[in-house]
Amino acid sequence: MISNNDTSGHELEYEIPFGPAHPGPGNFSIKLRLDGERIISAKSDPGYLHRGFEKLMEYRMPMQNAVLSDRLCVLEPLSWNLVHAEAVDELMGINVPERARYIRVTMAELSRIQSHIIWYGVMSKAIGFETGFMLAFGYRDYILDLFEQITGGRVYPTGYICPGGVRRDLTQGIATKIRTTLRKMNKMLSTFEKFDNISISARTKGIGVLPLKEAIRLGATGPVLRASGLKTDVRKDDPYEAYPEFDFDIPVRKEGDSCARLSILKEEIEESMKIIKQALDNMPEGNFRVPSPNPKIRVTLPKGEVYVRNECARGEGSMYMVSVGGEKPYRCKIRGPSFLHMIPVLEYLLKDSQIADIPAIYWSLNVCPADLDR
Amino acid sequence: MKMKARILETVIELVKNLFSKPMTVRFPHESIPIAEGYRGEHEYDIEKCRSCGLCANICPNKAIMMVKAPKEYRKKYPKLYPQIDLGKCCFCGLCQDRCPTGAIKLTKNIFLSTFDSKEVIKNPVPTK
Repeated sequence: MISNNDTSGHELEYEIPFGPAHPGPGNFSIKLRLDGERIISAKSDPGYLHRGFEKLMEYRMPMQNAVLSDRLCVLEPLSWNLVHAEAVDELMGINVPERARYIRVTMAELSRIQSHIIWYGVMSKAIGFETGFMLAFGYRDYILDLFEQITGGRVYPTGYICPGGVRRDLTQGIATKIRTTLRKMNKMLSTFEKFDNISISARTKGIGVLPLKEAIRLGATGPVLRASGLKTDVRKDDPYEAYPEFDFDIPVRKEGDSCARLSILKEEIEESMKIIKQALDNMPEGNFRVPSPNPKIRVTLPKGEVYVRNECARGEGSMYMVSVGGEKPYRCKIRGPSFLHMIPVLEYLLKDSQIADIPAIYWSLNVCPADLDR
Repeated sequence: MKMKARILETVIELVKNLFSKPMTVRFPHESIPIAEGYRGEHEYDIEKCRSCGLCANICPNKAIMMVKAPKEYRKKYPKLYPQIDLGKCCFCGLCQDRCPTGAIKLTKNIFLSTFDSKEVIKNPVPTK
């Protein structure tokens, strides 16, 4: 795949692609111009996973779109369920029952934990630390077990968080099981801490430094921006669902390198666990969904437009929905957090770095090609 | 000193792992139980069905098609009934949620792989 570039007159300059191989960068490719081992410039080459969700959503009813919104990001389907459900709720003026709002928060946070565990796993694999990968994916399965019992599917909840509430109530005794799983997550975090000095820091410290000024200029959000030193979180800045009722902190780091992003990950898992514990303790009784209208009556979306934003695991995910008064939305615009992390931020970080550091930089951004291409 | 402590830690971890059970199970011989309410293969009861077509209407993948019963059954079942294409199905369970009589239900059966592509289509009235 190496092609010599004779036109530039520089003998050592050549171009190689990184990806698109699924177990590597995953349906995504970067075209690199190299001078020996040094990267002169990097150009992202997305589009391998484009499925056209924005157009598909114009042909489906809100409940069908809830099922579709799972696939926006393979690694955190429940967060995207929540973004879609909130957009429809706001457009239709639905008052979601208190219990449903608590269940939504619990599920969104569980989804964040399992997504961050994947982040840790693939990051470990990328820097050649297989033990971390195995451990992380093993522990992730405990959360998938919970999803199986609550939503009926291990990975895809198929619109569990739907317009008007959630599709099923929490099953009996699930609160105890969630608490047991959270204790296992604590054990996992303490194991991860042991690895920190030996295996992870050596490969990630000082690699892929993103200064705060550049992070803001390039449009980074979520954990990437927090690792660069800005204390921002949509859950606090623009609260939604039941988040104002919970007590939690926003972890911030100043370094802005891969190592800072990894430590943010572990602190965020702890904060998420705090939120889940509070939600389970104060879980109100009542309906888990607004009484659904008679299935024979057609549900129409009222005229109007709405923009909602949420804190997904990877950053700020948002949806802009327009309705002209039909059964289906007229337009859906989705903002995936990975879009800006994978194109401008990644291109900036890869410039002038070493070829061996690409995986450590790429995976530290917690990216998902599925939500980039949509 | 630190190095020695680290090696000791590793050895303890190694011995622990030698005698602990693996996280996985040996699949065909034993399997982990599937949770209640899992979304698997459909179970369809034609006696309960009203032929309202709501399941075909809500199906996001258009996996359900309303079809006539085979000729020999047409006297007994004169209306249109849902035919489910499991190859197109995403197992979301919206048909189950929307069915007013509970004629369609998702079961825990997840072993659906087959060598015959015709087997994935579930006819409302079993032929043969």
